[in-house]
Amino acid sequence: MNNTLLSVCIALLFAIGTFMILRRDMIKVVIGITVLSHATNLLIVSTGAFLGGRAPIITSDDAGSPSGIIFTDDLASGILAPVIPEGTEMVFVDPLVQALTLTAIVISLAITAFLLILCYRIYQEHGTTDVSEIRRLKG
Amino acid sequence: MDTMQQVPMILIALPIIFAAITVLFRSKSGLQKALNIGVFAILFVMSLSLLFHVWNNGILVYEVGEWGKYGILLVADLLGAGMVVLSSLISLMAMIYATDYMDRKALDATFFPLFNLMAAGLNGIFLTGDIFNMFVFFEVLVLSSCGLIVLTGRGDHTKMADKLEAIFKYLILNMVSIILMLVAIASLYATVGTLNMADIAVKIAYLAETGTLPWHIHVIAMMLIVVFGYKAALFPLHFWLADVHPSAPAPIHAMLSGMVIKVGVYGILRVHYLIFQESMFMLQPVLILLSLVTIAVGATSAVGQYDLKRLLAYSSVSQIGYVLLGVGMGTAYALTAAMVYLVNHAIAKSMLFLATGETLYHAGTKDIRKMGGFVQSAPFLSVIFLIGAMSIAGLPPTGGFFAKLVLFDAGLGAEYYIPIGIALVFAIFTLFYLFRTWLSIFWGEVKEHDKEDTYKSRNPTIAIKISLALLACVVIFLGVYPEPLIVLSSTIAEQLLDPQPYIAAVLERSVR
Repeated sequence: MNNTLLSVCIALLFAIGTFMILRRDMIKVVIGITVLSHATNLLIVSTGAFLGGRAPIITSDDAGSPSGIIFTDDLASGILAPVIPEGTEMVFVDPLVQALTLTAIVISLAITAFLLILCYRIYQEHGTTDVSEIRRLKG
Repeated sequence: MDTMQQVPMILIALPIIFAAITVLFRSKSGLQKALNIGVFAILFVMSLSLLFHVWNNGILVYEVGEWGKYGILLVADLLGAGMVVLSSLISLMAMIYATDYMDRKALDATFFPLFNLMAAGLNGIFLTGDIFNMFVFFEVLVLSSCGLIVLTGRGDHTKMADKLEAIFKYLILNMVSIILMLVAIASLYATVGTLNMADIAVKIAYLAETGTLPWHIHVIAMMLIVVFGYKAALFPLHFWLADVHPSAPAPIHAMLSGMVIKVGVYGILRVHYLIFQESMFMLQPVLILLSLVTIAVGATSAVGQYDLKRLLAYSSVSQIGYVLLGVGMGTAYALTAAMVYLVNHAIAKSMLFLATGETLYHAGTKDIRKMGGFVQSAPFLSVIFLIGAMSIAGLPPTGGFFAKLVLFDAGLGAEYYIPIGIALVFAIFTLFYLFRTWLSIFWGEVKEHDKEDTYKSRNPTIAIKISLALLACVVIFLGVYPEPLIVLSSTIAEQLLDPQPYIAAVLERSVR
């Protein structure tokens, strides 16, 4: 049930982001880019989030208990990591995707900051934030 | 050799470190120039030695943090090392040129750090073996090139408002393509559970063998074609290029057209020929069709242009179509041709753009119709421009001749008669628009602006002459003695079609 909710949420965010970058106002376009990148971040996290998983902080108590997720791959027996065998209980979520998301968040932060400064400078030069009026270059 | 093992890391780390160090010397202009030319010369020498090492001893793998295939690996195979040599050659020349060309204010403030970051981004993309890491270096490259486009040089007549508008388009479209790439990477990770490209290739080959290849692998392959096609300015995604590239100052224009659009071609060669061998059967016809349209659109748009920089930018669109035509045909000989074409175009085009920057400064205008008779006042530029135009148009004795010859020969050998016919027709267009441009700029009547003999004071300085002359020597050398390049390219093509050595070199490592 949780996964369905997550999927719907990601889909909605993608829809909102796409709608926003098609607006005429520059700031709305930037907001659209931000929403889209957050939707992507959620998508990346969702590839490693399993039902009932908890944060991958492994204490000495957990060292012996099987997590259920197979992180090592063995092609000979048909295992592609990370795989959840059917019917096993998840203990930890996949930590790698969270590291990826952190990287993606930092990058989108830098891009958003740059874009906002750029919008301000364009407003100074052109005197408008309407994208359809900023068309001196013919494409 | 142990020191050789570290070179891939140094090629990425050195420019990043110097991006920080040059900020400290912003008040000492001379020292900063000498330091940066020195760094780029070292990078060029190191990349050459890396290429020789890889040629002699096989693929070099550097483990960042010794995590084996689960961490980030830097892989220098012949394709990656060759592209690094090309990018370091062009960035060295652009750097020498820029020390005299760029405005003092731009040089002191942001040019050197951003240029270093751009070189780091390019080297990182070419050397990384991890698909998510490739995304990170894409972003490094994009943000630093955005910062560089804003700067001004002495022949640069683009208004700031136009530059900002171009960057806005570039960055927004780039973000959309990058988001698409992230979605593709996330889906790939969810399917095979690894980000290492060699590992992904093994697992997808395994899935295909057992007949359990999920259909969305093909969708991921198409998404990545869109991403790399955007970077390479493939037809429906090419429209940003003619705005963005002419807005940049000449050395950056040379880097953007010479190397940055080649990143897309590299991405298709690396990712699709390594990972998505299974879906190439349906992507190849699409690539051939789109590259033909790219050739046609670029060439016909260039014919109608009178703005020199825009004309050459559309020419870049058209030429990248030829490279992608070779990539799309996909036989070993066609891939060889694509590599030969890529190298020749990168060197000749960046030389042409550097010469264009100087020509525009000399003329004081961007409009071809207002120029004329420069062969009197600028004989050196006219020779350089002629060599560049000959190479792009494909006339002997320049490298471009062999590039076109090998490409058309490969196409005819693989029985792609109609695509090669179309490409030939537009090769004649290329010849027409480049020589019309050359004739109207350098021959013909001297226009009335030159009455007071003002042009004499606007001749190229020594540094600019050195960089242009060296690039011209490389272009002529590739035309007179193309054997090494063709042998190297055909070895690269064999490695691309049979990725087993690459996979073996990456995966057979001890994991702690």
